Amino acid sequence: MSSLAVLLIAIPLIAAFVSILSKKVAPYLLLIASLINVILLFYFVPDGIVVIGGYDLPYGINLFVDTFSRTGLGVVNVLFLVIVLLNIVEFKKYSSVLLVALAGLNGLLLTGDLFNLFVFLEISGIAAYLITTSNHKPLATFRYLIIGAVGSSLYLFGLIIFYGMFGTLNLMDMVSFIQANNVDPSALVLPAMLMFIGLGVEAKLLPFNSWVKGVLKDSNTLSGPMIAAVYAATISFVFGRIINNLLTLAFVGNLLIVVLVLLAVGIFIAEAMAFASTKVREILLYSSIAQASIVILLFVNGIVLWAVYLIIANALSKTVMFLVINKATKDHGDDESDSLQGVFSKNILVGITFSVATLSVMGLPLFMGFVVKLNYLTELAVGAQWALLAVILISSIIEGIYFVRMLIKLWYPEKNEVTVKFDLGFKVVFVAIALILLALGTYTAPLNTLDNSIDTIAEVIDNG
Amino acid sequence: MANIELLLLFLLASGIVSYFLTKWKSFVGSVFTIFSTMFVFASLAMYGFSGQLDTTVNVIPVLSFAQTNIGFYFAIIIVFVYLMVSFFHPYFVGEYKYKNSYNVMFLLSLAGVIGTFFADNFIQLFFAFEFIVWTSMLLIPMGKSKKAAVSYYGFSAAGSFAMLFGILVMRSVSGSFDIDLGLASLAGGQATLVFVMFLVAAFSKLGAFPFHIWLPEAHGNAPHPFSPVLSGALVKLGAFVAVFAILRIMPSTPLIDFANSNLPHIPLGQYAVVILGSLSIVFGTLMAIKEDDAKKLLAYSSMSHGGYILVAFGIMTSQAVAGGFYHILAHALASAGAFMAIAAVAKQTGTTKMSELGGMIHKMPITYIVYLVAIISMAGIPPMGGFISKWLIFQAVIDKGMIFVAIAVFFGSIGSFLYVFRPLAALFLGQELREYKVKVKEAPFLMLLPMLIITALNVYTGVIPSAILNFTNGMLVDLGLAPVSITMWDIVGTTGTLNPALIALVFGFGVVIAFIIFIVLKKSKKVTLMETYTAGNFVHDEQLLHYTKDFYAPLERLYIKYTTIMKEFYETLAVKVKEIGRFGKYLFMNKFIGTTILWIIAILLFLLVGEVL
Repeated sequence: MSSLAVLLIAIPLIAAFVSILSKKVAPYLLLIASLINVILLFYFVPDGIVVIGGYDLPYGINLFVDTFSRTGLGVVNVLFLVIVLLNIVEFKKYSSVLLVALAGLNGLLLTGDLFNLFVFLEISGIAAYLITTSNHKPLATFRYLIIGAVGSSLYLFGLIIFYGMFGTLNLMDMVSFIQANNVDPSALVLPAMLMFIGLGVEAKLLPFNSWVKGVLKDSNTLSGPMIAAVYAATISFVFGRIINNLLTLAFVGNLLIVVLVLLAVGIFIAEAMAFASTKVREILLYSSIAQASIVILLFVNGIVLWAVYLIIANALSKTVMFLVINKATKDHGDDESDSLQGVFSKNILVGITFSVATLSVMGLPLFMGFVVKLNYLTELAVGAQWALLAVILISSIIEGIYFVRMLIKLWYPEKNEVTVKFDLGFKVVFVAIALILLALGTYTAPLNTLDNSIDTIAEVIDNG
Repeated sequence: MANIELLLLFLLASGIVSYFLTKWKSFVGSVFTIFSTMFVFASLAMYGFSGQLDTTVNVIPVLSFAQTNIGFYFAIIIVFVYLMVSFFHPYFVGEYKYKNSYNVMFLLSLAGVIGTFFADNFIQLFFAFEFIVWTSMLLIPMGKSKKAAVSYYGFSAAGSFAMLFGILVMRSVSGSFDIDLGLASLAGGQATLVFVMFLVAAFSKLGAFPFHIWLPEAHGNAPHPFSPVLSGALVKLGAFVAVFAILRIMPSTPLIDFANSNLPHIPLGQYAVVILGSLSIVFGTLMAIKEDDAKKLLAYSSMSHGGYILVAFGIMTSQAVAGGFYHILAHALASAGAFMAIAAVAKQTGTTKMSELGGMIHKMPITYIVYLVAIISMAGIPPMGGFISKWLIFQAVIDKGMIFVAIAVFFGSIGSFLYVFRPLAALFLGQELREYKVKVKEAPFLMLLPMLIITALNVYTGVIPSAILNFTNGMLVDLGLAPVSITMWDIVGTTGTLNPALIALVFGFGVVIAFIIFIVLKKSKKVTLMETYTAGNFVHDEQLLHYTKDFYAPLERLYIKYTTIMKEFYETLAVKVKEIGRFGKYLFMNKFIGTTILWIIAILLFLLVGEVL
């Protein structure tokens, strides 16, 4: 059954409706639905194009399952399940919202239709706004809502222009039309840029991302990893697919330079902002802005594979880091790095896993981050992007310095003892993720089995 | 045959074992660390000198190794320093906050060292390089300062990323990460670029001017047994990169031409290295002269000695390069000896501040001898190893007719008399302080043993250098240079022949005569402080009456206000980055929602205007 992929969206959506009926059943529905999704994904859903409603391809809505979306779905669904498992007791009442979120995220990753993508962007967006209400910072959530709405409107605006130009909403159809008719790239500048900015808002690229600070700096163990890891990974995957297939057709000449400069400046400024921060969660959120910019930069340069692995490495690391810090903040009441000093001296295991995650983000050897970083830098060098390479390397020095400073503070106590207690479930997750980072940092054979052609939309177009 | 891959795996495994052993009993874990390090050293020493190390790879297929003379020379010196220092662990590790991980990180960084020097491709080299950085970085905050690790990481990262940039440029030319292929493929502007990038790496690792800020921070504040590793061993990674940059890439920069001179010329690139090396020597010396903390003083001395190595490589003649290589060994031994002696004193007294110490010779005579021999070698006085290398370097400098460089290297040598003598006088000689009279004892045997071995080697390298020079000659040949002509007892230089053994004999004869005079003449009477009186007054309380604190105050006054320039530069740089960050926050992350919209509109307008015009 090739149409099983539909269930990845349908099951959580139906469960979400059902869960409204009974608050007691809702958490169980959430668990079951996210578990079924993971099982379906890994055992049953085959690669291929799922046409919904029996319409021919350009007209109906279609879902696209290939290695790219499968990788994205794998990361997102597994991390989603893990984060849900850790938070289900405390955040029971968010069950329905989380189910909607799951449906939206899977839809984003699967859909091959650009309007459909907008719909899922809104669905997952609404869920995200609701998830951030758990921070109890209504103003920040409100900002997120407004700016998120602006972002998706811009995306829609871009899409409308594309539709007006080519008369189709289907990604594959549109791309093949543009290629077949040799459309002048300059005609695509406005819609491409609108789409880029629209998705850039969601992918937290500088300077479209002022919502991130408010949302993540007061996040908790649910909203932190959800927004910084799961949502960030999803949007990066989706953005990657759009850039890689559609937007690169427009990103030539001066526009390409503008986009690259925007991203490169974003990387540097984000690292500098993290350098200027003292609150641990702020450091983490600015660092994820920089990492997100690097991911998009790689997609723009056509380095798909390592962008994908970078998304995965970041999602894994940021899950651990946000969980640890949000738990510590919750117990301690403050995330100022000076006041959290020595938090790991009583939590050695958690400290080690947090350090592994941090060292991986810094791109130090033995961990996944190193392999990924080395490979994408090599690819950038192969593409002779020396200026970008230099920007990334200089930013990495800044990044390393603030992370080392933070790690040392968290390990070495000053005067006051910080006591934070981590549950077994948290520890298991931390250790598992640290082991994955270590394993993929030392045994790189699994990473090398794929290449840049994992996004097969282009191939499908070529083969008709 | 010793297999490199197995040695690496052995170190990783021993790291894990030592974690649990140290957790159980820190003494046991530390002794285990000694034996692990010893096994690695013995394996390397047994097979390495004859080039019989097994570089095949069976377990981890992505790795590949090669044994080169240069790599082995560095490896054996650094592993030796690690081994010597590991003897200190049983007495120190127990005190540290994370004692379990101390031994682990120590062994892991040793694995990184082996990975670096036996790598046959740049990726593995970079991997091992970075691996050393973070493992050693985690050890430093267990000492005095938490901030030291940050500056250590910052400069190391700047160095390794510069090197990575160079490696990637090389890869884009040669299409592979192979070291020999990559270095051979460079030409023109790319060669210059890689040369500069590798030099940044070399300078920042070596702690040479202008990247020297981290040296006193890291060396001075690291745990006492780790300072000798940093200074004696890990800064030599910079020298290793310098060999690549200066002696193997050799960009075709214009030759420096002295008018009316028949002297051999030096390319501009290398000439710049020589000048910067000279500056390192002078600045390191001046900074060491004014330093109060003995460990920081030795750190500045490392900076100045790094300068000697750079000057030697930059001159590029056989003699100079041989001198540079020999200096790497001589300084590793001398600085390890000196730092270990200071560590022993610190262990017994709890401080390394010269103003708080004195008269240690009464209680720690062997440590005193160790320190004395080490600093004689550092100052380049016969019959110690440092003399041989400096003799070779001085000759090369004079041969080239580089007057100002010669002034710098001689200044550094004389300056080192000035500063290494201060800890000697302040720590070991002079009045024995009351608080140390009772409880302080000589260091335990396990700590004395490595110090004595190092002392013996300091002397050996100064008396019979021929075996080592034979080995460095092999390295010179690898680099395409003519070997230095040596016999069993003589080193033939351009300005004369040196017979170190003869010098040592004369020196020894002098010591014997002095000793005879000391025995024959009337014994001096030992008086306590209470038996003296000053200005007609009795001394009622034993107070500190030795003034080694501001020894060179008149000299220091000449330059004291300029000593913080570089530090301020980096501090300002950090502040600027912080300000950019704050400005970024103000621009993009402020409380007005409209800002984001403003940026979006601005960018769209920018693009549209660009399109329309």
